[in-house]
Amino acid sequence: MLIGAGVVACRSAPPSDVGASTVTALASASPSSAGVQVLDGSLPTADPALPPVSLRIPAIRLTATVAAVGVDAATGDFDVPPSVDRVGWYRFGASLSDKSGSIVVAGHVDSAAQGRGAFFRLGSLSPGDKVTLRSAGGDAQDFQVVGREVYAKTKIPLAKYFARDGALRLTLITCGGPFDAKTRHYRDNIVVTATPIASKR
Amino acid sequence: MRLTHFRRTAAATAAAALVFGGLSALTATPALAASSQVSVVHGIPDTPVDVYVNGKKTIPDFQPGKVAGPLTLPAGSYDLALTKPGAALGDAILKVDNAKVPGGANISLVAHLTTAGKPTITAFANDVSKVAAGQARLIVRHTAAAPAVDIRAGGKPVFQGLTNPKEAKADLPAGTVNADVVLAGSSTVVLGPKDLDLKEGTATIVYAIGSADDKTLGLVAQTITGLHSAPGGVPSGSGGLAATGVGGWWYGLVAVGLLLLLLGGATRLRRRS
Repeated sequence: MLIGAGVVACRSAPPSDVGASTVTALASASPSSAGVQVLDGSLPTADPALPPVSLRIPAIRLTATVAAVGVDAATGDFDVPPSVDRVGWYRFGASLSDKSGSIVVAGHVDSAAQGRGAFFRLGSLSPGDKVTLRSAGGDAQDFQVVGREVYAKTKIPLAKYFARDGALRLTLITCGGPFDAKTRHYRDNIVVTATPIASKR
Repeated sequence: MRLTHFRRTAAATAAAALVFGGLSALTATPALAASSQVSVVHGIPDTPVDVYVNGKKTIPDFQPGKVAGPLTLPAGSYDLALTKPGAALGDAILKVDNAKVPGGANISLVAHLTTAGKPTITAFANDVSKVAAGQARLIVRHTAAAPAVDIRAGGKPVFQGLTNPKEAKADLPAGTVNADVVLAGSSTVVLGPKDLDLKEGTATIVYAIGSADDKTLGLVAQTITGLHSAPGGVPSGSGGLAATGVGGWWYGLVAVGLLLLLLGGATRLRRRS
């Protein structure tokens, strides 16, 4: 029984942060420009965003459908897809066609009704693990994990992870840490950051 | 598009067009916010110009319908002039001396026609406060030689009785709005309908320019990006299956286990003795 308890304690130790400084550097990278820019004052048209439609992370044997989502109108929170085997791409942020900013994909770690979610094992990813996003046309973009951070939800610097500027990066978010059985909420968010590597066509 | 929201905020935001002089009063800023972002909008039809700032040609051959900038200008007074392209500064079409630019503001200088059809320059202070996640800001400015107008979205008036040189604005859910401009209180369309794609986290400023009498009415748009906010949070678990930090009951179990071991050991010791 003692050994059993010990194993659980080890397995459920929160993942430690790795690559935090790399993640911060990515957020502040920006190109500079000079001179008076003259733009055509035509009415704005819809952006040609390239939404990811599937996500693959071999290290945790995950292949998940990616849905384009926005903000829950009632709460103002990220509108994570209710079905736990799907993950949500933040459609207001960067897409696969962008050259800068954060492509944000969030998914459930689990749910009371549906059990384990797509991102159940997100916290076990380590630097070097590969993540692949695929667009509707079938083009794949590979990313490599560079950081994994854990924040209390009250302290997470969301602006950094939802930034539209800085180097192009992929930000994967789920829940973690201790669970409050009364409110049915986790205390923490787990954030995994990955940077693009040579694309495979 | 939620029109009810649209109408409510439209009424609440009285136009804040500012002619020079009024601007500094609005943006009383601390000394350290030294510079302002200044965009220049050309809304006078058929009249390309060179734009001079403090006697220096800053935007050459500036075409109607274009938006230049933003320039970063330290707070202070500026002499502005518009000339025909290549013409001498002395032959300016329009001059504004000692235009006050406050610090820390985002300003659009708009060369346009007055209601009576005379060229003028109006300075507008742009609302660059953050918009909520999922929202976009729409600002409409009447800078045309035309009477009061209503702006309609989906056929319903949302900004009413807008006159030159005033603005109206609202924060709306990001997305496409089909909008047109009608004479105030009527259904006589003077501009549009046009689809406006309001991108999340941006301010889209639409200027009505030109002259109704000369049939040169048109629209010019300016977009200010980077006003987005992050969502309030990322709630992504309700099961507790992945909980870390060992729950209290495990400690209880361990304590019971230890107790049993101790008792067992004690019993054995007693037997031996």
